[in-house]
Amino acid sequence: MGAQTSEETRKQIVSLVRDFVKRDVEPIANAYDNEDIYPHELIPIMCELGLFGINIPTEYGGMGLDFTTFAMIFEELSKGWMSVSGIIGTHHILSYIISVYGTEEQKHRILPKMAKGEIRGGLALTESEAGSDAQNISTTAVKDGEEYVINGRKMFISNGDNGNAFALMAKTDPKSDPRHRGISCFIFEKPTDGFKVGRQLDKLGYRGLDTCELIFDDCRVPSDNLIGGEEGRGFGQVMNGLETGRINVAARAVGVAQAALEASVTYSKKRLAFGKPISEHQAIQLKLAEMAAKVHAARLMVYDAARKKDSGERNDLEAAMAKLFASEVCGEVAMEAMRVHGGVGYTKDLPVERYYRDAPLMIIGEGTNEIMKLVIARRLLEKYSD
Amino acid sequence: MSLNIIVCAKQVMDPETPLSAFNVDEAAKRVVPAQGIPPVVNGFCENAVEAALKIKEAAGDATITVISVGNDFVMDVMKKPLSMGADQMILIQDPAAENLDALGTATVLSKAIEKTGEADIIICGQQASDWDNAHVPLGISEMLGVACLSEARSIDLGDGTVTVASSRSDGYEVFEAPLPCLITVNNEIGQPRYPTLRGIMQASRKTPETWTLNDLDLSESDVSPALTLSELFVPASDRECQIIEGEDEADSGRLLALKLREEKII
Ligand SMILES: Cc1cc2nc3c(=O)[nH]c(=O)nc-3n(C[C@H](O)[C@H](O)[C@H](O)COP(=O)(O)OP(=O)(O)OC[C@H]3O[C@@H](n4cnc5c(N)ncnc54)[C@H](O)[C@@H]3O)c2cc1C
Ligand SMILES: Cc1cc2nc3c(=O)[nH]c(=O)nc-3n(C[C@H](O)[C@H](O)[C@H](O)COP(=O)(O)OP(=O)(O)OC[C@H]3O[C@@H](n4cnc5c(N)ncnc54)[C@H](O)[C@@H]3O)c2cc1C
Repeated sequence: MGAQTSEETRKQIVSLVRDFVKRDVEPIANAYDNEDIYPHELIPIMCELGLFGINIPTEYGGMGLDFTTFAMIFEELSKGWMSVSGIIGTHHILSYIISVYGTEEQKHRILPKMAKGEIRGGLALTESEAGSDAQNISTTAVKDGEEYVINGRKMFISNGDNGNAFALMAKTDPKSDPRHRGISCFIFEKPTDGFKVGRQLDKLGYRGLDTCELIFDDCRVPSDNLIGGEEGRGFGQVMNGLETGRINVAARAVGVAQAALEASVTYSKKRLAFGKPISEHQAIQLKLAEMAAKVHAARLMVYDAARKKDSGERNDLEAAMAKLFASEVCGEVAMEAMRVHGGVGYTKDLPVERYYRDAPLMIIGEGTNEIMKLVIARRLLEKYSD
Repeated sequence: MSLNIIVCAKQVMDPETPLSAFNVDEAAKRVVPAQGIPPVVNGFCENAVEAALKIKEAAGDATITVISVGNDFVMDVMKKPLSMGADQMILIQDPAAENLDALGTATVLSKAIEKTGEADIIICGQQASDWDNAHVPLGISEMLGVACLSEARSIDLGDGTVTVASSRSDGYEVFEAPLPCLITVNNEIGQPRYPTLRGIMQASRKTPETWTLNDLDLSESDVSPALTLSELFVPASDRECQIIEGEDEADSGRLLALKLREEKII
């Protein structure tokens, strides 16, 4: 979307996000994560900085930045506290779906408010019986005059409590074969009668950020909020949106892994064992070298997937590979960081144990890594078919 | 009446550069720029930009021009004041200005300020974190013949005047001066605001004007150093750590106090 962001601008943006993380995020990250506290006080600052409109087109009040810059921002935020990137993660999936598939009226009505952070978005796809098998959703949308009546329950919805608009996937034709033709995507706006936020999940990592159950009980959504104004398109719209989500999740993984690496290098130079800094023991050097090489490779894969998206090329293969590789690297590097830190890495005195707890989300979210492998294999077999 | 505010800002080595990356070329009497660590806008100069933006907000109609003299400007670094909201920027870059001392820098900056036209308020960071001389602002005010109000913690604009509370070690003093005048600030003026993504995008469309000494009718001899640097070295630190142990915390404290008295520190 939009033109390529210049290198000079990217550097300034990275430096800005780094300052924000250092000044406002890092001081609260450990405490808020431990207590599972949502960082409300960061929201006005993030609105002011423009972080809710990263790649919303400028004609709709956004910043119109490219996906490479988008990935850099997610990496920097996640270096400080991955949960903060979640505040604007699925928000940008919703804005992307509207920017690409929305009607002009929907774009003008919703996107400027999203760019300012007045509307904070999310994605409501997963249900307790439909995660990887997204077409198995049972939430329904039945047309009634100028409205749709929604019934169902969504599960694991990030920003479910603090967000106020969601890309809601529901079946408008439950009998459709193939199943995906019966799925539509709506812009669901709070508050609405018959809607409530259910259980807040108590999670291993990604703490502080609300992940909830959403309950729709004869909940009415205006037909004007059917994305693109056409039924049966929702599955494709959301899957395309998830591709941008994969870039963001992969970038988060790089950020967490980078933080774990940096912490390890710094610690290893200070920590003495057997009369010298552990960084002078070859066993530790080998770890640091492997960690650094993996993080570097992961980052390049993310940038490559982002660059392909920016140039308008198909990037599902690269996005899936980047998400798969970066998230696995993140898990490995976080574990290695804990080893380098020894006993203290296992305590809540340092953020290393947080990196370790945050890493699995990137392996599971935005499509599990098993599903990523299926996507990659499908594309490979397609590419080399004769 | 539109107010013309000038901010002098300096690009410096990142003061958070780790000691291990800090090197001095003793023969050339120069600091060797640290590899891979980008420079920054001097911290107090960012405070100066913040002060200017606050004055502009209060005045309504004002133009903020940032002026910097130096070499090897890194554009994504130097554009920060523009991204924060300054209106325009002038960079003075000249091989002949390679070895400026405070006098030379003040000479160049005061000429540049004159060339911009009628400056109402000139704001400088109290000192730069590289050499910490704090000479340049005084030099500029002297050369331009305007009052210098130092270490402002607040700046209030009056009718053709400005009132400044200047920090002192035991409180503050309040001064009033007619415009034009020069004000120096440090972190007590308030934390510099973040640039915003929008600000950065807008700044990306602005190209700083670049001037040479020639544009200021200055020659190399006009800015030749008045000071000679005779030696530059990193002082060897011979810190020694002693752990004072006692039977309990109170006992340790008592022993520490005794030791400090013995060393005539307290
Ligand atoms: C913290 C958190 C936040 C989330 N936020 C959101 C959100 O904002 N919006 C949203 O809609 N969802 C969200 N999710 C849901 C997330 O996308 C799903 O958890 C994920 O897609 C996996 O689905 P599932 O949990 O149902 O697991 P399942 O699909 O039940 O998978 C269980 C296991 O089976 C494997 N598996 C499934 N199918 C296959 C297959 N065909 N071949 C091989 N292996 C297979 C999976 O890889 C996995 O290992 C979030 C989840 C978490 C944990
Ligand atoms: C939950 C918990 C419970 C514990 N309970 C007990 C207990 O009950 N009693 C007790 O006495 N201790 C206990 N410990 C301490 C534990 O045994 C130590 O944390 C462990 O031995 C590692 O020591 P360290 O933390 O000082 O790490 P360090 O020794 O500092 O090690 C840091 C890193 O350097 C590496 N390293 C160190 N030396 C070398 C070398 N020569 N060559 C190569 N690599 C090297 C290590 O492998 C590690 O990767 C506990 C720790 C935890 C986390």
